[in-house]
Amino acid sequence: VSARRGRDPGAVLAHALEERRILVVCGSGGVGKTTTAAALGLEAARRGRRALVCTIDPSRRLATSLGLTQLTGKPRALDIRRFDPAEGGTLHAMTLDTQGTFDGLVERYAPSSEAKKRILGNRFYREVSAALAGSHEYMAMEKLLDLSEDERFDLVVLDTPPTRHALDFLEAPERLTAFLDTSVLRFFLKPYFLAGRLTIKVATKTGALALRLVDRFLGLDFLRDLSEFFLAFEGMYDGFKERASRVHDLLRDETAAFLLVSNPAPSVLAEALYFHRRLREKEMPLLGIVVNRVHPAENRSRARTTAGRTVKVRPELGQKLVSLLRDEQAVARAERKSLQRLEVETGLTPLLVPEMESDVHDLRALREVAAVLFGGLEAGNGASAAGARR
Amino acid sequence: VAPLLEDLLSRRLVVLSGKGGVGKSLVGTALAMAARERGKNVLLVEIDSPVEAARYLGAAPVGPVLSEVRPGLFTVNLDPQGVMDEYVRGSVKLDLIARRILESPIYRRFFAAAPGLKELMLLGKVMVLEEERTGLARRPRFDLVILDAPATGHGLQFLKVPLAASRAIPVGPVGSNARRILALLRDPARTALVIVAIPEEMAVVEALDLQRTAADEIGVKARAFVLNACHERRLTEEQEAEALRLSARKAGGPLAPGLRLEEGLAAARRHMRKRKLTRFYEARVRRSARLPLVTLPYLFREEIGPDEVRLLAGRLGEA
Repeated sequence: VSARRGRDPGAVLAHALEERRILVVCGSGGVGKTTTAAALGLEAARRGRRALVCTIDPSRRLATSLGLTQLTGKPRALDIRRFDPAEGGTLHAMTLDTQGTFDGLVERYAPSSEAKKRILGNRFYREVSAALAGSHEYMAMEKLLDLSEDERFDLVVLDTPPTRHALDFLEAPERLTAFLDTSVLRFFLKPYFLAGRLTIKVATKTGALALRLVDRFLGLDFLRDLSEFFLAFEGMYDGFKERASRVHDLLRDETAAFLLVSNPAPSVLAEALYFHRRLREKEMPLLGIVVNRVHPAENRSRARTTAGRTVKVRPELGQKLVSLLRDEQAVARAERKSLQRLEVETGLTPLLVPEMESDVHDLRALREVAAVLFGGLEAGNGASAAGARR
Repeated sequence: VAPLLEDLLSRRLVVLSGKGGVGKSLVGTALAMAARERGKNVLLVEIDSPVEAARYLGAAPVGPVLSEVRPGLFTVNLDPQGVMDEYVRGSVKLDLIARRILESPIYRRFFAAAPGLKELMLLGKVMVLEEERTGLARRPRFDLVILDAPATGHGLQFLKVPLAASRAIPVGPVGSNARRILALLRDPARTALVIVAIPEEMAVVEALDLQRTAADEIGVKARAFVLNACHERRLTEEQEAEALRLSARKAGGPLAPGLRLEEGLAAARRHMRKRKLTRFYEARVRRSARLPLVTLPYLFREEIGPDEVRLLAGRLGEA
């Protein structure tokens, strides 16, 4: 079920919040992905689900949007009583602790405590799992699998890093296994390591070349760390592989869905189209597209309907009001054009969220976002959200 | 020339970082134009950017090929795999061998999977570009290189890679390159880290976070702060008061052909709200960042082109 043209995208999303187990929120940077993910989590909890919002982004965005200063790798319960949740509804939030997840994985799959110690103490492992870019994606999928099996939650809303990295993230299971796979590095590193010196027989000529290349560029010590690392992982590949393929299945399952978030700036929508294409190539179930911060001039007609007392303003003020309006309209026109293109090219009706009256960074404001997303059905604070749509 | 711009333009490398969607690309283009207008040969480096800065200058996308989009103003959109391939080709002098390595699936998969390798290669390439010399006098080919770094979160990870790699790889050319890159980033005489944000909570929080982490964990001190997309005063104080009074009285009626007063007043209220946010975050950045700050205006335009870039370049010059 997706927000195909002609369907009400808000209803599609509401249905997903009640039915799905995993919602992956993706899109390029700065479009309000995290805010959307948090608002969805809150709305799901209000509808009686036990929701968890998890962010992969190493920045503190999710904490900020929830009005918190910090989140950790452990789910933290949020107090949502004042939003009148349905029976049993809860909301938790957490951020991904890359190092902790990786360590946990090693602990789970290491064949012996000796192997475990070797890996955890390996220099390459320490730097790779903690500091280097890319590890977040490797571990995100792993965590997702864990969380999907966690009985405390029946819905996981996953906030992903900006577009290009989100693609890394989709490919992470394959890449992790490719990296750790026997057929990649291990096959030429292992003989090297066992021989303990440079002049060794390697299985293939290409392997020998690649080995020489690695040695030349990275040096012997690094090579030793690397070999140790791969050797230490021996016996764990099958576990990793098995989990990677389960993540793969999990994301293509009907209980999971992707939601693309964008804003109406033409350059950002172009990026959303790219993302849409990639999701389709990967056969990921795309639910719909949320477009945040649509310029209010889009909804100009609403203002027309409010009857006002006819007043004549001073010409200087009048001129400035006209120029403010014209400026807004120029932006709105550009937005409208891009939105039309988005709809035609994706065949999906985007769910438009107007710019809010205030910056969204606490639960109350999130509630307003949710009210807008789901048609402002509930009373609550919906009034001011409706105000934003004016 | 204004002090801040002069300060930035006297470096070899300006690294722009900030949350996604804050307009780093546009700020980078404006900075490049400002540099060009002051007679500098300037190179703007983007990384895997889907929509390139070149379009702001009315030029066609340049892709991974370094191109002179205006006299003395070059741009390139680096593709990580391409940079890595180039590195292999440059290191393995024998064509045949290089080709065999490049064609090997092992190499492809290693490159795709090895964490941090992409980032290291890209930063290495930026360093090589910075070091390029031409002519008999061996003058730098570029007076200034501007790097539009990936968004924070990952941008920070990006800048951390040389440090992590120099620790993980104690010897060999890759390790020593990592240390050279780190030295370049840390050298305030050669490199200026410029943090870009917009007047919004999350962008500002992340920007301040970036500033702190870059200093504490990587040893790179930010040089300047750019607050982009600021809403600047359009109405006088009296006019603002008047607009609020009229709104409270639910004033309406025709304003101009096709426009109604109530719409105009709603636009004025939106404008005032955005002004307020701009002022609030500007004050916060001044207080917390303690860095030279430039504010750039929000542009109400259907398309951003060379005129808009020039406008922002002018503003950078006034700072």
